[in-house]
Amino acid sequence: MLAYAVRRVLATIPLLLIGTFVVYVLVSISGDPLAKLATCTQCDQQAFDRIIDLYDLDKPIPERYVNWVVNAVQGDFGPAVSFGSIDAGELVLERAANSARLAIPAFLIIVTIAITLGVYSAVNQYSRLDYAVTGLSFLGISLPTFVFALLLQTIMIWMLDAFGWRPFFVTGMRTVELDGFLPMLRSHVLPVITLVLVITASESRFQRAAMLEVINSDYIRTARAKGLPNRKVILRHGLRNALIPMATIWAIDFAALLGGSVVTETIFAWPGLGPLFISAVTQLDLNLTMAIVMLTSLLVIVFNLVADLAYGLLDPRIRYE
Amino acid sequence: MTTPLLEVDDLRVTFRTDDGDVRAVQGLSFTVAEGETLAVVGESGSGKTVAALAIMRLLPRTARVEGTIRFRGTSLLDLDEDGMRDLQGDDLAMIFQDPMTALNPVFTVGDQIVEAIRTHRDVTESAARARATELLDLVGIPEPKQRIDNYPHEFSGGMRQRAMIAMGIANEPKLLIADEPTTALDVTVQAQVMEVVRTVQEATGTAVMLVTHDLGLVAGTADRIQVMYGGRLFEAGPTDTVFYGSRNPYTLGLMASIPSAVGRTARRLEPIPGSPPSLIALPEGCAFSPRCAFATEACRDEPELRVVDAASGHATRCHRAEELPDLVAARATATAGSEGGAAEPGAAGDGAA
Repeated sequence: MLAYAVRRVLATIPLLLIGTFVVYVLVSISGDPLAKLATCTQCDQQAFDRIIDLYDLDKPIPERYVNWVVNAVQGDFGPAVSFGSIDAGELVLERAANSARLAIPAFLIIVTIAITLGVYSAVNQYSRLDYAVTGLSFLGISLPTFVFALLLQTIMIWMLDAFGWRPFFVTGMRTVELDGFLPMLRSHVLPVITLVLVITASESRFQRAAMLEVINSDYIRTARAKGLPNRKVILRHGLRNALIPMATIWAIDFAALLGGSVVTETIFAWPGLGPLFISAVTQLDLNLTMAIVMLTSLLVIVFNLVADLAYGLLDPRIRYE
Repeated sequence: MTTPLLEVDDLRVTFRTDDGDVRAVQGLSFTVAEGETLAVVGESGSGKTVAALAIMRLLPRTARVEGTIRFRGTSLLDLDEDGMRDLQGDDLAMIFQDPMTALNPVFTVGDQIVEAIRTHRDVTESAARARATELLDLVGIPEPKQRIDNYPHEFSGGMRQRAMIAMGIANEPKLLIADEPTTALDVTVQAQVMEVVRTVQEATGTAVMLVTHDLGLVAGTADRIQVMYGGRLFEAGPTDTVFYGSRNPYTLGLMASIPSAVGRTARRLEPIPGSPPSLIALPEGCAFSPRCAFATEACRDEPELRVVDAASGHATRCHRAEELPDLVAARATATAGSEGGAAEPGAAGDGAA
């Protein structure tokens, strides 16, 4: 299994190279840093030369890419010019930590609720609660994220108007260190709820489908024929098998959450990766864009590997050679 | 006569579907005595598996089960969930058709047998494991001490079915229902598995209800046979009586369609024409009449299951039961070159057994 993991990690290197090359080229050709200077009347040749030098604009794109890779593997992602030329790598890590503050609690809540709802719906297929869960899930899947976010904000504003007090903050991030525990909690709740609402909807559907397939299988009948209590049949024999396909879905969702959510973080003015990415792309900040792409690709690759290894633990039929 | 181990009276099972009610079992009555082997034979869709699942109360909730099922005097359909669970896997056990899918892939074979034991017996994990090893040895798994920690996918089909049997008999049931235990297996393995069932029966004295579509398999194993068709009992009696003196055209048809391994007769297999009836819209009268070579006007009325030989308890559902041997003989002479379908089945049965 260790050899397999090592091999998988090595296999990600060409994957990362191809991915970053494509993004590097696309971002490089999608805008010209000199364009802004074209209408600048006070700018002299010196300003042009400084920018050409800064971005290596006198060299071909593949060569620039190779230079970027050489620096990147040494941990130097260059300055983020749109953020006062601070180190892009450090900036991304700082924002990623902020995104994780939402992603980790949201993920734990999502998995708990999705398993509970999925199992309950599958076991009581076509019951009223199953229909209710199905209906709400489709609502969650089809409504855009911003609807939930704005709705939650509206409720808070309404409470502020009606009672002069609101339980949760509408925008911004508070931390324990700077603001204390309670403000931290009050600022985290709404964005976490938004993420939970949106992702739980689809995950509970997957869980229900996985569980339905399992509880109609022969070995569940065998377990019942043994005289096992229903709870043991469902949880020990049923859920244990239904979790196997979920491992992949969790890995994808968790990687996506850690990579920052553009809409949710933007609406709640959360200093996470999502708004940072939007700003980097719109301002054509190549170094910053590349640092974010690098991190999100790594997240996807790492969590896919985690999922594949989890498969081996959950399913004895899978062997790694 | 003492009270039988299992007493099924007027069992009816109906599934409600969008196309109409599927009457899978219609008025089935039979008994199983302690220690005996009863074979329930019929084509796919004859209701034999549904009847077995109804006894185990393992049918989905959409099934409507009526009638009475008494097991050692207890009415199973009136038991609450807890009461039924106490019986399931203990005095009343079942093994299933497809050993490939009937074992849970994520637990070891040992774990699954240990679970069956500890659900009903208050024993330690290690005692249950020791018992599980014994059981695997009994059903003929080589090196049971090592194989107990294997997962089902590390077992062959035959070994999995042996493991299933070990799990079924773990608590020495009074009645073991085997639903097509050999259908998914190779012919050579089939014989081995039936041998295991016999060994187990000798070791534990359990009664066996063997559900199968394979008459050949039944010949050497069963004390009594009951033949089902269209959710009804068509013929019932001691194995030899049914094999050599069947009074039912459907049973005769089944036997004529078994290939014989002995006697290089050039006899052609005679399939039963047509296919089993739809259980939603059964034919008027005798359910078999549309496929029956001997059907007459009288068969428009549904025949009763009636006893033709009180001594052996041989019963059949056919208007023409008395004249049937003559009819078959006449038909045999009419088909030139053939030795006669009805005279053959005995040999066919012995051959397959």
